[in-house]
Amino acid sequence: MLGGSSRDARRTERYIDGLMDAEERGAAEAPTDLDLDPAVLYAARELRAGLIRVHPSFRFEEGLATRLAKTAGETQRTPNEQPAKVLGSSISPFRSPQVAAPAEGVARPGRITARDALATLAAPRRLSLTSRPSRPLVVGGVGVASAAISIGAVYVAWRWSRASQTPMVRAARAARSGRAYAPGHGRRAAVLHGILGVMS
Amino acid sequence: MGFPTPGCNELSRPVFTSTEERVRPARLDRDRGLVEAARRDPASFDALYRKYLAQVYSYAFYELRDHHAAEDATERVFMQALTGLPRFEERADSFVGAGGAGKPAAEIPADASTFRIWLFRIARNVVANERRRDRRRPVASLEHATGLASADDTFETAAAREAGSAAWQAVARLPEDRRRAVVLRFVDEMSTAEIAEVLGRSEGAVRVLLHRALRSVAADLRARLS
Repeated sequence: MLGGSSRDARRTERYIDGLMDAEERGAAEAPTDLDLDPAVLYAARELRAGLIRVHPSFRFEEGLATRLAKTAGETQRTPNEQPAKVLGSSISPFRSPQVAAPAEGVARPGRITARDALATLAAPRRLSLTSRPSRPLVVGGVGVASAAISIGAVYVAWRWSRASQTPMVRAARAARSGRAYAPGHGRRAAVLHGILGVMS
Repeated sequence: MGFPTPGCNELSRPVFTSTEERVRPARLDRDRGLVEAARRDPASFDALYRKYLAQVYSYAFYELRDHHAAEDATERVFMQALTGLPRFEERADSFVGAGGAGKPAAEIPADASTFRIWLFRIARNVVANERRRDRRRPVASLEHATGLASADDTFETAAAREAGSAAWQAVARLPEDRRRAVVLRFVDEMSTAEIAEVLGRSEGAVRVLLHRALRSVAADLRARLS
């Protein structure tokens, strides 16, 4: 059950709704409610007519629109232009002729925005037999593993070419060099013969 | 009208009946498209800004009664909304709370927008901060002090004319919560449910606030006439 005050409040709400609807429809007369206090009806009509929505000056509107656009540009650029982090490494953006070349009449700064990179991804690829497909360069992370492999390979090559100090190896090399000049054998074959000779 | 025999799509109760008032269609935010666009591309926030500029500015102006302060507040509101947009969460059940649980579907505002509610909550906070600052360091605007409008601003003349109106004066004398409810209802044309969400009160409380505000305004106008 609603109390008297709540019932009146609900009735007032419906009256205001009706008042606004009538205005929206362009009705000639305002609605009325005989059960509602005439003073409340009068006040509602006065407030509806007197409290108009005000608009700020055009100068302010455009000025604020410009400031908002500037802020929007900054918020858009800040998170996207930072290089993406992958396990402590950074991915450099794609570099393709479409992105690297500035658009007509637009002076681009040296940095490539993420939006440009995405546009390049979305664009159909033009395959060329002479050019290698561009790939993102991953520095750090995965690169550390490939660097370790490279260092290992360099070390093996260095050990291979360097004369050993142990007598056993020197003897093996001497034996190998004795057979190394067999015709039709390259240096690698000679080395293999030397190793096999020592092993057998 | 009969319902089909039970099957895999059987519902425990009929959905569309004239007696069932608690089943309500879920309304989506009418600004959803604009909000999503602004989230994807912050430059698209301009559409939301243009749509709600006058409403936010009016609210600030009626609350602060000074157009420079209203402009400052409006700017702060939209800046905060722009930077805080990623944190905005649309709530489909926004109108269910605050005493609206048993509300018939017909009473749910068709133009309900949780984005507008969210924006006006920001506006309420910004205006409250502005008023707090003014209380600490009261500054009367020149136009208010002199009662003159600057010649190059047509808004000033309109505002000065409004300031002189009886309705404006009567509303200015209302207590804060009543005035706020009246401005949101009559100027920003919000529903009771939306006002309740903005002010953080129940719909019943807002209804009573408005009813009492109208009684106060009526008494004020009657005294003025007599």
